[in-house]
Amino acid sequence: MSLSSFDLLLSAIAITAIMMLGTTNIGTNLRLYALHSLLIAAATAWLGQTRHEPALFLVAAIFALVKAGFVPWFLNSIIRQVGGHSDSGAFIPTALSMPVGIALLGANNVLAQRLPTVINGDGGNIGETFALSLITTGMLLMLTRNIAVNQVIGFLVIENGIYLFSQTQTQGMPMALEMGILLDLLVAVMIAGILLFRIKKNFEHIDISKLTELKD
Amino acid sequence: MTSLLLIAALPLLLALGAMLMPFRWVRWAVPILAWLQLLVLAWLTWPVLSQSQPLLRLTADFCVDRLAALFMLLTTCVVASSLTHAPYYFQAEMHQLDQRHVRIFYAASSLFLLTMTTVFACDNMGALWIAVEMTTLVSSPLVYFDRTKNAVEATWKYLIICSVGIAFALLGTTLIFASSQQALAGSGSMQITDLMRRASTLQYQWLHLGVIFCILGYGTKAGIFPLHNWLPDAHSEAPAPASAMLSGGLLNCALFAIFRITQIVVASDHRGLTIDIVIAMGAVTAIAASLMLLRQHSFKRMWAYSSIENVGIMLVAIGMGSGMLFFLQAANHSIAKVALFLVSGNVVQASGTKRLNALHGVLASSPVWGILLALGALSITGAPPFGMFVSELAILVAATNPGYWPVAVALLTALSISFVAISLHVGRVVCGAAKPGFASTGSQLASSLMPGLLMLCSLLLGLLIGPQVLGYLR
Repeated sequence: MSLSSFDLLLSAIAITAIMMLGTTNIGTNLRLYALHSLLIAAATAWLGQTRHEPALFLVAAIFALVKAGFVPWFLNSIIRQVGGHSDSGAFIPTALSMPVGIALLGANNVLAQRLPTVINGDGGNIGETFALSLITTGMLLMLTRNIAVNQVIGFLVIENGIYLFSQTQTQGMPMALEMGILLDLLVAVMIAGILLFRIKKNFEHIDISKLTELKD
Repeated sequence: MTSLLLIAALPLLLALGAMLMPFRWVRWAVPILAWLQLLVLAWLTWPVLSQSQPLLRLTADFCVDRLAALFMLLTTCVVASSLTHAPYYFQAEMHQLDQRHVRIFYAASSLFLLTMTTVFACDNMGALWIAVEMTTLVSSPLVYFDRTKNAVEATWKYLIICSVGIAFALLGTTLIFASSQQALAGSGSMQITDLMRRASTLQYQWLHLGVIFCILGYGTKAGIFPLHNWLPDAHSEAPAPASAMLSGGLLNCALFAIFRITQIVVASDHRGLTIDIVIAMGAVTAIAASLMLLRQHSFKRMWAYSSIENVGIMLVAIGMGSGMLFFLQAANHSIAKVALFLVSGNVVQASGTKRLNALHGVLASSPVWGILLALGALSITGAPPFGMFVSELAILVAATNPGYWPVAVALLTALSISFVAISLHVGRVVCGAAKPGFASTGSQLASSLMPGLLMLCSLLLGLLIGPQVLGYLR
């Protein structure tokens, strides 16, 4: 199996996401997330080139601006004010979560080959593998981390995986919809940011594994 | 296009007005305009309501059919009733409320109304997803209203769990989009009516996978078992009018999204599996929720679990492909549950506790609220002659027809258990000696106006529609 340069770009996206599993420092995590989003924007622009769709360049630019620029900056400034730079990890030890992420990448490859092949999409099984890998990596991030910000980052990685899936497996959603989805995401991150302040104020920490007051 | 703008105009105006107009106007102007919105919607959707035309197309991505129009009216009714009651709720806490927080509450409610109405008008799967996600975002300030520890915890869970759940619906949407590209060689479609028309040519493996992801995703927002964890928290920590809107409005939106997606499968040649999943999920949800109803300690959480049980029943109706049964059950549930949440809010406020074992003697302290609670409990458990009895009976009969016997048995079990559980809990709250320190501010009669009217609606629904439906069943 030989990889084209586009496939290599896609693999870099998945690898930066898996690297996020290996660090507990939230600052590093956010930087990796920014890099990872930038690579996705680059992949979008690449597709715009190969498909001769100039609109995709605009999508890529906005994507980079929002996901590689504003969102990491916003979350980072919140972390600076709220404190809590590193995460102790939860259900799975941090040292183990990266190997699990890599194993899941392999499992996703098997899964991708079993799914019906796509006729129109670019990237084929490879794109499918890496997109699914982003989704599982994001889920792992959400499951293995205690600090509230990491839950938001995990959610954003899942969202990126779905975006990559739609870009490589379909001919891309209409631009208006992409923008709507991006807007939703932006609002969600901002509301989560406000809530983070409130959690810090009320609980004096942002460790969600200790948010257990509500139960039957 | 103009009709779409007309639908959006009043709620947007309301949201703006709630933030800008003099504070003493807000409490009355917002509900009045919300009722006006009901008239606007009824006027706009009259062609489909009177069945003179099957589909009202607003733009390429938005259209309204009869079911959507009915749901729009129901949702607007729910929001307007809750907002009409809200001043009585806030009255008791007025001295400790921040004006800005109340303004944000009304503004978020107006946007909530707008996004929920939009969900029903979506003909595009992507737009549907955006609208459903927006409902989460604009309703999180409502859950967050009290700004206490518990409220913050509930809001965080609500935002994160629902957003991640909805993310899977986006994956499902993408998969369905992919399935349409394979069939039509080149141009994919996200338009639901278009997908339904070409359902048999869609790549069915992708379609099934996509629909299952969509059901899971939107199901998280509807509170299907076992993805329901956030729901009791959010519904019990939100202020009573917001709980009423979440339970009576939002759940219908999520279920409607599931209904729209399953319609595509129904139209295709491969309907079996996915539809069975919906029915099975509904039955399991109903049973699980009714069992959890038994061991409740909090008054408002109990109503939240009762909502989950009803979501299960509605899912069964959706799985059987009956839009009208789904609407009938949704309308009866919404009306009764809004009334219950509003009265329960009064009771909780007056007695200062949500704990079921600390609540007693409401009938002795406040006869009006006691009677309304008892009537509401009868109505929500499906006792005749209330509307719920008719719709639940119709769903049960419909379930026995095509041979879904196990489902009918499961639903009957769930209904019986929840009847016992709710009667037991509400009986204890209503009866007994008056609670010392039960202090209601303002007129008890005025704060019973909206719940009372809603109970009357529920009764009328049963009396008016009941004979027709029962005659049809026979």
